[in-house]
Amino acid sequence: MSPRSRLTVLLTLLALAAGAVALGALFLGSAAVSARAVIAVLAGRGGGTGVADVVVLSLRLPRILAALLAGGALAVAGVGFQALTRNPLAEPSVLGVSSGAAFGVITAQVFGLRAGVLEALGLTAFAFCGALVAGIAVYVIASRAGGLPVHTLVLAGVIVGIFFSSAITVLISVVDFDRLGGVIHWLLGNLAPIPPAALAVFAAVAGLGFWLVLGQSRQLNLLALGEEGALQLGVDAERVKRRIFAGAALLTAVVVAFAGPIGFVGLIVPHALRMTLGPDNRVLVPAALLAGGVFLLAADTLARNLVAPAELSVGVITSLCGAPFFIYLLRARAARLGP
Amino acid sequence: MVTRALALLLPVLLLPAAAGAFSVTDQTGRPVTLDAPPRRIVSLVPSVTELVFAIGAQDALVGVTDFCDYPAAARQKPRVGGMVAPSLEALVALKPDLVVATTAGNREETVTQLERLRIPVYLVNPARVADVLDLISRLGALTGHEGAAAELAASLDMRIKAVLARVAALPRPRVLYVLWPEPLIVPGRGALVSELLALAGGDSVTADAAEPYPRYSLEAAVARAPDVIILASHGSGQGPLDRAKWERFTSLPAVKAGRLYTADGNLLHRYGPRVVDGLERLARLIHPEAFTGRGDLSGKGHR
Repeated sequence: MSPRSRLTVLLTLLALAAGAVALGALFLGSAAVSARAVIAVLAGRGGGTGVADVVVLSLRLPRILAALLAGGALAVAGVGFQALTRNPLAEPSVLGVSSGAAFGVITAQVFGLRAGVLEALGLTAFAFCGALVAGIAVYVIASRAGGLPVHTLVLAGVIVGIFFSSAITVLISVVDFDRLGGVIHWLLGNLAPIPPAALAVFAAVAGLGFWLVLGQSRQLNLLALGEEGALQLGVDAERVKRRIFAGAALLTAVVVAFAGPIGFVGLIVPHALRMTLGPDNRVLVPAALLAGGVFLLAADTLARNLVAPAELSVGVITSLCGAPFFIYLLRARAARLGP
Repeated sequence: MVTRALALLLPVLLLPAAAGAFSVTDQTGRPVTLDAPPRRIVSLVPSVTELVFAIGAQDALVGVTDFCDYPAAARQKPRVGGMVAPSLEALVALKPDLVVATTAGNREETVTQLERLRIPVYLVNPARVADVLDLISRLGALTGHEGAAAELAASLDMRIKAVLARVAALPRPRVLYVLWPEPLIVPGRGALVSELLALAGGDSVTADAAEPYPRYSLEAAVARAPDVIILASHGSGQGPLDRAKWERFTSLPAVKAGRLYTADGNLLHRYGPRVVDGLERLARLIHPEAFTGRGDLSGKGHR
């Protein structure tokens, strides 16, 4: 099989898996909607006004799409950051961008600043501002005369992340608990049914970030040889790094804006894929988009159903499931490479 | 003879100092012993601050938290910081002879630290509306304002009973009360608001949740087809109410009937004297038909 048709088969399989999990998630939820009613709604025979219609089409479907998008975006951002920094610990939050975005969102809530024109996008603007400030801060701190050394970048990201996390803690301790009561939950990830217009914006921005990372995936492979090696092969390393940085930061910011800071997806999914598929970023980037979506959707479906009608934070599930899975993968690889 | 008389008198002279002149049991059942009735009280609980003012004992109040925002005069009192991490230095500097703290909202460490500094702590743990009335008489006894406290408790009790009488025979609409819109947090079992909704003649659709303040499934809330939705405003009233989020669900009975209301969380989430104001407003929102005539429940003029 040629590499190209192998990639096609792989992506088809992942897309089928995403479809299957999404379909399953449509049937699962805390509202008592029978499987028959769900099928009737999906077939367009629901009448359009009943509880089943609202639950399936206005609540479950948009939340499923949001989970697929957010998971995919986080995983692609993870692939990008890990390849960029050649650091296995890199993940979207490592650059401090997600903390910056979270700070933006919480600031907006503290001051009751919600852009009125586009209700759903009110907080998004703040998330972007926060992400932008954090991203630029990291970039400025880390960049040296025309370069962006990897170690400095990681350090700068960690420091900026700590700064914004502390700033969030300050806000939470200073502001009346009544006004920030829900924020502690939001900080653990909050996938919600996003209205269609906002979902379209989410998809468009995530798409732009995905395009930026995918476009550099061949160069990322060469960057893995080390910057000098890449340079000898005609790769403009600085340009690649800038694009990956921008793309991954964009992906992270848009996820935080719409779903809160969700951990572990950007760490687990890229690693799991690299262990099973190998290190070719041209394969990893599109595969991460689908696999990340499947992982986060499965986690969110658990979060919605485990303690129904109450809900868990999706970030709790991604960490709880992600960590053992990660250990399994590590051990499986160690066994394969062992004596 | 003289020595014998002294020997007889000695225990009598020493006893009061050893046992303390003023001994009470706080709301959690802990004994609290003071040398004398408290004259310099610091309140670490906004609702206690409100209650102390309501019984006219504010002169004994020498310190409050940053969140003690009612009545307006409470803001003039010296502040000791937030509820979670009050400044011990500021507290000690006020030379309190008693600190009132709550088991829900203050930290145990704060209480331990205060006791290590030999500052007596009176703990409160109100869980139900009845506990507010109990707290009023306790604060009355602590501050020597028993009369005013009894009067306040009786008047609040009467107003609660008046609400109950009005809504008792009416059908109970399903009510969804939203504490926080995103993620959705609602009052569950044991929450003060759940009890207030029931007293106001409503049937809270989330009262079955095991936690008092659970993060709740939006679809479960929607599937229970609430007839009334009440969005709580928080703090300054600028909290994220997010009406639009609910207005989208046009098939919900509450939205169809235009029964999407807002309520002042400061009245409904605090174990203070205004909880009855909150109850009366809730009852008016849930059962407007019961309050159409000229009634005695004006909802105005009460503190």
